[in-house]
Amino acid sequence: MTAVTETHAPVLTTEARRARRVERLLPWALMSPALVISIIFFGIPMLLMLRMSFNEHAPQRLYVPGFTARHYVQLLTEERFVNAVWTTMKLSLVASLATLIIGYAFAMLVWLKPARWRLAFIGLALCPLLISEISIIFGWWMFFPKNGLLSYALTSAGILSDKISLMYTEFAAFVGLVYVTLPFCFFILLSILDGIDKRLIEASGDLGAKPLTTFREVLLPLTWTGILVAFAQSFIWAMGTYATPSALGPDTLWTMGYLIQEQMLGKSNWPLASAFSMILVVAVAVVMMFTRSLNARRTSFHA
Amino acid sequence: MTTAPALELDHIRRTYGLVTAVDDVSLTVAKGEFLTLLGPSGSGKTSTLRLIGGFERPDSGEIRINGRRVDHLPPYARDTATIFQTGALFPHKTVAENVVYGLKMHKIDKAESEKRVKDALAMVRLTGFEQRYPAQLSGGQKQRVALARSMALRPAILLFDEPLSALDLSLRLQLRAEIKRLHDELGFSAIYVTHDQSEAMAMSSRVAVMNKGHIVQIDKPDIIFHEPKSEFVFTFIGESCCLPVTIRNGEVRDKSGEPVDLKLARPPAAGEWRLYVRPSRVVMGEAAAAAENRIAANVAFAEFLGDVYRYHFKSGALELFCDYGGPERFQPGDRCVVGWDSAHMSVFQ
Repeated sequence: MTAVTETHAPVLTTEARRARRVERLLPWALMSPALVISIIFFGIPMLLMLRMSFNEHAPQRLYVPGFTARHYVQLLTEERFVNAVWTTMKLSLVASLATLIIGYAFAMLVWLKPARWRLAFIGLALCPLLISEISIIFGWWMFFPKNGLLSYALTSAGILSDKISLMYTEFAAFVGLVYVTLPFCFFILLSILDGIDKRLIEASGDLGAKPLTTFREVLLPLTWTGILVAFAQSFIWAMGTYATPSALGPDTLWTMGYLIQEQMLGKSNWPLASAFSMILVVAVAVVMMFTRSLNARRTSFHA
Repeated sequence: MTTAPALELDHIRRTYGLVTAVDDVSLTVAKGEFLTLLGPSGSGKTSTLRLIGGFERPDSGEIRINGRRVDHLPPYARDTATIFQTGALFPHKTVAENVVYGLKMHKIDKAESEKRVKDALAMVRLTGFEQRYPAQLSGGQKQRVALARSMALRPAILLFDEPLSALDLSLRLQLRAEIKRLHDELGFSAIYVTHDQSEAMAMSSRVAVMNKGHIVQIDKPDIIFHEPKSEFVFTFIGESCCLPVTIRNGEVRDKSGEPVDLKLARPPAAGEWRLYVRPSRVVMGEAAAAAENRIAANVAFAEFLGDVYRYHFKSGALELFCDYGGPERFQPGDRCVVGWDSAHMSVFQ
């Protein structure tokens, strides 16, 4: 009897076949709302932008339908644009590394502190998210100039003898970027840390590891995924944002975001702006793929 | 090898805000001794253990390990190893990597540490599990690895922080016997924190019963059980029936003032008393007639416990219960005589 069922393919009844079909289609059905939103708001605009980047540009016209790779060639050869790519990359890299270090330290502080402090810290971290980027920029305008808060604080504390202005410097742009990306980085890292048993830290010390060794041997490997995600997210944000660096940085700080805006709104050259946006998209995709490859061990420890 | 005890606590005190978690605790653990800190939750037993391990610092008092003062040292500089309630195995390291971790930190040379890892895993019967990750182990196996990890270090004293409380009953009994066997074989010094009195009784050389930050009694398990010094120890260790009575003019009355049919061989002086008896020492039927103390009571209800029936009695406002394995069956409402000998009764005012 068993031999028969083993050698012959099971004959499915109509109901069983229907159940299988439902089983196969159900995941897609459940995903469909998110899928539809993604396609309408991300997929289609991206394709339109790709198409736009190959159109011709003519004076007095936003674009002329056509097919040319001229804009890409221009972007990759003209020094002004090539420099913008490197400037943006450099600024984003430095800003997201700083974000990562500050965010990690802050997340660890909240994680290690007793629960009663937690809500206050989380509220503090949420603050920047409750204020629009424009208002935050106005805040920095009060902070950085010669008669601003920073200058005042440094001179009255006796650290500096003369008033200084850090307004419209790369440093101001850097601080502004860190401030904007920090909350996301913090929450990503805190959620990862919350999944770790604090007794592991004690166990490591108990077994003879000094605090720095414990960090290297236990905390770092367990938070590695979070570090990569937090870094990638800060980096992508810093690459794409344009208001903060252009409002706080010097006039010569030509980031990709600034140049795209200039081509789009100032020079009305839509194909060039689109091509530059595509380069930005590709750069971000490359960075994401790179960080994913660093996260080689994708198995979960908490199975 | 010094002659000093493995561990000495000298008037240790630790407060958290307004709460005194550990209040003037002193104790000594001799080399090879297995001492259990037993108490209800919040009694300060885990706090005491954390002070010894160095995870907390005492407000005052001294801690000495092998005669050396350590209360100012961080955990990594103390010759202790803790087995945590959750095991606290490093999830990203294999079993072998977990066990070798402490040896690496203590810079034990490779050949020696390999041997120690092998021995430790053999001791906890996990040879062959070296390359597994903690997520691939069962709860009992995880605790065995934690035990191996701590034992491989050969510390002056092993600290057990309720290591079995997260396991189910049969596994708990099995591992309890295993820890006992390891202690008998290896003779390590240990402090074991638990709220499970049967665990404390079964494993320990001595038991320290803690309540509200104090050690209320510290002695061998059988003495703790048979000669409890206080009402708290009597009620916390083992099952007990409490009979609150008032004695006036040689007559025994319950709380409401009604006289009860309780005959005491050596009645205490007039006043309010709480009489405690162990249900395992309470007898029914024919044996009760010969007992030194007797009470006539009605069966309130019965529970079937497998080997025995547990009968709950009521006499006025007094309630007690006893286990009976004899052939007779009693129904609720039946009037019986139950009794016990004076040696098995403790009286507290």
